[in-house]
Amino acid sequence: MLKIQNLSKSYRTENVETTALNNIDIEINKGEFIAIMGPSGCGKSTLLNTIGMLDSPTSGHYWFNDEDVANYSEAKLANIRKHNIGFIFQSFNLIDELTVRENIELALLYHNIPSAERKERVEKVMQQVGISHRANHMPSQLSGGQQQRVAVARAVVGDQSMILADEPTGNLDTQHGHEVMEMLQELNANGKTIVMVTHSPAHAEFATRTITLLDGQVVEPALKAVS
Amino acid sequence: MLIYNYLLSGWRNINHNKLFSSINILGLAIGLAAVTLITLFVRSELSYDTFWKNADTLHRSHIVFKIPGRDPFKAVSAPGPLIHALKKDYPQVTQASRVASISPAIIVGAETFIQPVSLVDKDFLTMFDLTSLSGDLSNALNDPHSLILTKELAVKYFGQEDPIGKTLSLDYDYFKRDYKITAVIENSVSNTQLPIKALALIDENDWTDRTSLFAQWFSVNAQLYFQTKKPSDLDHINATFDDFSNRNFPKLPIGGADAKPSDFITLSAMNIKDLHLHAVGSGEMTERGNATRVFIFSAIALLILIIAIINFMNLSTARASQRSKEVSLRKVMGASRSNLIFQFLGESVLVTFIALAISIGLVEIALPFYNEVLNKELVINYASTDMLQITGLALIVGILGGLYPAFVLSNFRPATVLKANKSAESSASVKLRAILVVMQFAVSIGLFISTAVVYSQMQYADKMNPGFNKDNMLLVHRIGLDVVSEKLDMLVKEIGKDPQVTAITWSNETPGNTNQNNTMIRLPGMSKDDALLMGQRGVGYDFFATYEIKVLAGRTYQKERNDTPLATAQIREGANRKSSIVINSSAARRLGFNSASDALGQSIFTSRGNPNENLEAELEIIGVVDDVHFESLRATIRPEIYNLNATWGHTLSARFNGNPDTLKANVEAIWGNAIANIPFSYSFLRQDVADMYKTEQGQAKMFAAFSGLAIFIACLGLYGLANFTATRRTKEIGIRKVMGASVFDIVKLLLWQFSKPVIIANIIAWPIAYWAMSDWLQLFVYRIDNSYILLLSAIAGIGALIIAWVTVTTNSVSVAKANPIKALRYE
Ligand SMILES: Nc1ncnc2c1ncn2[C@@H]1O[C@H](COP(=O)(O)OP(=O)(O)OP(=O)(O)O)[C@@H](O)[C@H]1O
Ligand SMILES: [Mg+2]
Repeated sequence: MLKIQNLSKSYRTENVETTALNNIDIEINKGEFIAIMGPSGCGKSTLLNTIGMLDSPTSGHYWFNDEDVANYSEAKLANIRKHNIGFIFQSFNLIDELTVRENIELALLYHNIPSAERKERVEKVMQQVGISHRANHMPSQLSGGQQQRVAVARAVVGDQSMILADEPTGNLDTQHGHEVMEMLQELNANGKTIVMVTHSPAHAEFATRTITLLDGQVVEPALKAVS
Repeated sequence: MLIYNYLLSGWRNINHNKLFSSINILGLAIGLAAVTLITLFVRSELSYDTFWKNADTLHRSHIVFKIPGRDPFKAVSAPGPLIHALKKDYPQVTQASRVASISPAIIVGAETFIQPVSLVDKDFLTMFDLTSLSGDLSNALNDPHSLILTKELAVKYFGQEDPIGKTLSLDYDYFKRDYKITAVIENSVSNTQLPIKALALIDENDWTDRTSLFAQWFSVNAQLYFQTKKPSDLDHINATFDDFSNRNFPKLPIGGADAKPSDFITLSAMNIKDLHLHAVGSGEMTERGNATRVFIFSAIALLILIIAIINFMNLSTARASQRSKEVSLRKVMGASRSNLIFQFLGESVLVTFIALAISIGLVEIALPFYNEVLNKELVINYASTDMLQITGLALIVGILGGLYPAFVLSNFRPATVLKANKSAESSASVKLRAILVVMQFAVSIGLFISTAVVYSQMQYADKMNPGFNKDNMLLVHRIGLDVVSEKLDMLVKEIGKDPQVTAITWSNETPGNTNQNNTMIRLPGMSKDDALLMGQRGVGYDFFATYEIKVLAGRTYQKERNDTPLATAQIREGANRKSSIVINSSAARRLGFNSASDALGQSIFTSRGNPNENLEAELEIIGVVDDVHFESLRATIRPEIYNLNATWGHTLSARFNGNPDTLKANVEAIWGNAIANIPFSYSFLRQDVADMYKTEQGQAKMFAAFSGLAIFIACLGLYGLANFTATRRTKEIGIRKVMGASVFDIVKLLLWQFSKPVIIANIIAWPIAYWAMSDWLQLFVYRIDNSYILLLSAIAGIGALIIAWVTVTTNSVSVAKANPIKALRYE
C-alpha cells in the first residue's frame, strides 16, 4: 500500500530546527492495522500527517500505491488524499455549526456525488456506528464517545481504503475508548488499512503490528509479540 | 486606580490586535470627522440672521405673480409702493425699509470701482443693529448725501486715513451724486441674507424717470423688510394680506372686469431667521440655503454615525467571542459582571477617544477643501462649546458601541466556554451582527444610488443641448452704462476686427443672466382682457446667428434690412408705426399657429409704456426661432418674443475660436483704450451656464464625498468582519480541507456567506432610493428618465457585491490556502 524510505521531516522556527522524523523506513501493506506508539513529542503525529499527505517531508521518498508522492504539489496531494484516505482525530474535529448528519455528509460534499446518494450513504454509516438517533443533533449536544463515533462515520463514509487515526481514544474514557477500538477492528476486518497513533498499550493490542518511535526514529519491534 | 487598571488593560488589548484595532479606530475616526463636518455646515445654515437683536420681529415680504398659462413668478423682493401701504394699513408695523441693491460706479479721486450699494429707507438703522466702528449711526443717514461704508470698503477706498467726512461720488448711470462718509461699520458676517457693504438713503425724487425701481406696483426691484410690535403679528399680516392686496394694488390688465388683484398676486411675509432656508423666489442679494439639503445632510451625518457605531459594535462583539476564554478565566478568578462591563466599556471609550483625536486632525485637513466646495468659512472653535459637543458625541458613540459587546462578553458562562471547545457566541449575537451588516450595506448602497442619480442629472444638464452653442463665447458686461453705450458701435467694430472673433452681438440678457420681463400680447381681434402674457428679451443684430440658435422659419434682425426698433415715445406721439418681431416656437404655439411658417407675416399687438397708458405697438412676425434654455433646467421654457435693441444692451457677446485668454486680453485692451473709469468685466458663457447649477454641483460633490466615506467605513467593517470570520472558521476550514475541499471551494463558501447580506441590503435599498430620487428629479422640468435610477441601482448593487467579494477574498484566500493541520493541531 505504501512505502516510506529515508524520510525526514524537520521544522524550522526562529533559528531552532526540530527534527521530528529522522531517516525513517516503513512499509505498510494493504489490510494491515498498524499502531504507532512512543513518548510524547517523538514524531507520531508528524508521521501520520505525512502519511496522510497533510504535510510534505523535508527529504526522502514516499510511495503511495507505487507513486512517489514526496514532491507532489499540494493540489495533487489533496486529490490523492481525497480518494484514498479518511481521518479520525483525537479532538474529534467536528464542525460546531453543523448537525451530525451534515458533519458526516461533509466528507462526500467535495466528491461530486449526487445528493440522493450522499443521503443514502450517510444514513447507512450512521446506522453502522449507531448514531442514527442523534442525526439532527449538534456536536455540542453529544458526549465525547458519541462525537468520536460521528468522526469514525465521517472517516468511512467516503469509502477510502485507508483510515488514519491520531489518538482516536485520547479524549475518551475506557469504555468509550474500547467501543471505538472495536469499531476500528471491524473496519479492518472488512478490508480497510488502518494506521493509528495511540498511547495505550491495551489499544495497541487491537492492531496487527506496532511501530514504535523514539526521537523521530523507528525502534526495532524487539519487544513486540508477533501475532 | 481601578480606572487606571482598566485603561491599561484596554491599551494592551488595542495593541494586541493591531489589525482589528486600526480598523475599528479608523472607521470611527472617519465617521466622527464626517459628522463633525456636516454638523458645522448644518449649524451654520441654521444660524443665518439669528443674531439681529430684533430678529424675532423683523420680517420680509415676498410676492408671487400667478399668470394664467405660465409658471408662477416668485420674488423675494416687493413692489416699491408696498412700504407706504404697509405702514398705513397695519398699525402692527412699527418700522419698515426697502433694500435695493444697485451697482453704481464709485468714483474716489481718480479711481473707479463697481460695487453694489444698498439703498435703504431711514428706519433701516433702527431696525438692524449694525456695529459702528466710527461715526454716529443714529445720525448717519439723515440726508441723501450720506454714505455708510463697511471697514473693508473704507480701507479699500481711503487706506489708513480716517474716512469720516471724506467724499466720493456715485455714478448711477442715470444720475451722479457726491456723498460724504458719515460712518464706518463692521464688515458683514457671512451668515446673513443681508450682506451689506455700503448704505445710502433712498430718495424717490431721484428716480422719477425710472419708476420701476420704487414707484410701480407691478415691478419688484427692491426687498422690503419691516418690523412688527410682537412676533405673532406676522401671522395676522399673512392672514389678511389678500384683502390688503385688493385694497392697494391697481387692477391688473388681465382676467376681465371681475378679476381681483388677489387672483393673480399673493403677498406673504417671512421672519428674517427663516429666510435663508425657507424663502422662495428670485431677487436675493446672496445665495440662499436649502432646507431639504440641510435635512439630507443631517440625515447623511446620522447614517454615517450609525454605520460607524455598527462597525464598532460588530467588530467588538466579534472580538468578544475570541476573548471568551479570558473572560471566563477572569470570572473564575472572582471578577463580577459589573467589573467586566466597566472594563469593556472603558476599552471602548478609550478606543473612541483615540478615534476622536484622529478625527479632529482629519477635520482640520478637510476644512479648507470643504469650505471651498460650500463657499463658506467654517471653523472649529476650540475655545467654545464645540469641543464639549464633539467630546460628548464621542462619549455617546463609545458607550453605545461598547455597551452591547460589554454585556455579551460579561454574560459568558465560564462552564460552557471552558468545557466545550466552541465559540461562546450566542446565535442571537451572530444574528444581530448579520442584521447590522445588512443595514450598513443598505445605507451605503442607497447613498451610492442617490449620488449617482444627482451626478447623472448634472451630466445631463451639462451635455443637454440648450438650443444655443455655449462654447467659445466671451461675454463683456456693463455695456449698458451710458458712458459705454455711447461707444457701443465702436466697441463692436473694434472687437469684431480681432481675427479670433467670428461673430459678435449684444443683448439685454444672456443665458444664466436673465430677468423676468413680461409683456401682454394679443392677436388682432382678441380683446385686451384675453391678452396673453409672454416673456420678452432685447437682442441686438446678429444675436441668433452669434448664439447659433436655429431659425425655424423666416429671418432674424438684420441691419441691412433696415430693421429698427419701435420706441415707446413714437407710439405715444401717435405714430403707430408697424414694426417687426422675432418670437420663439413656444410663443408661436401659444398664439395658436400650427407651424412656425404659419406665424410668418402675422401681426401681434404688445402693450407698451406704463400699464395705465394703454399704449400698444403692432408687430409683424418676421421669424420664429427654436426654444432655447436661457434659464436652468428647473424652469420650463416660456413663450417669448425678442425685441430688437439696435443700439443698446447690457452684455456684448463675441463668438471666437482659438485661445480664450489671448482674446480676453485683446478685448480688455480695446476696452481700456475706449473707456476710461469703468473697469472691464467679462465672463465665458460656458461658465455662466455651469453656474446655474452651482448649488446642485456643490451638493453633488458633498453628497459624493460623504457617501464615499460611508461606503468606505462599511467596507472597513466588512474587511474586519471577514477577517474575523475567516480566523474564527480556521478550524472548520481545516476540517473541510481534510475532507477534500479545494481552496476555491473554501473561498466560495466564505463569499456566499458575505454575499447574502449584500443582496438583502440591495433589496432594501433599491425601492427607498428609487422613491427618494424620482422625487428629487421632479425638481427639474428637463431631467433624466426614472429608468436611469434602476440602471444606477443595478450598478450600485453589483458594485457593492464586487467590493464585498474583493474584501472577503483578500482575507480568505490566505486562510483557505493554509495547511489544515495547523488549524487542527492546537485545539
Ligand atoms: N508545526 C511545527 N512547528 C515546529 N515544530 C513542530 C511542529 N509540529 C511538530 N513539531 C515538533 O516536532 C516534534 C514532533 O511532534 P509531534 O506532534 O509529531 O509529536 P507526537 O509524537 O505526536 O507527540 P504527542 O504524543 O504529544 O502528540 C515535536 O518536538 C514538536 O515540538
Ligand atoms: Mg501527537
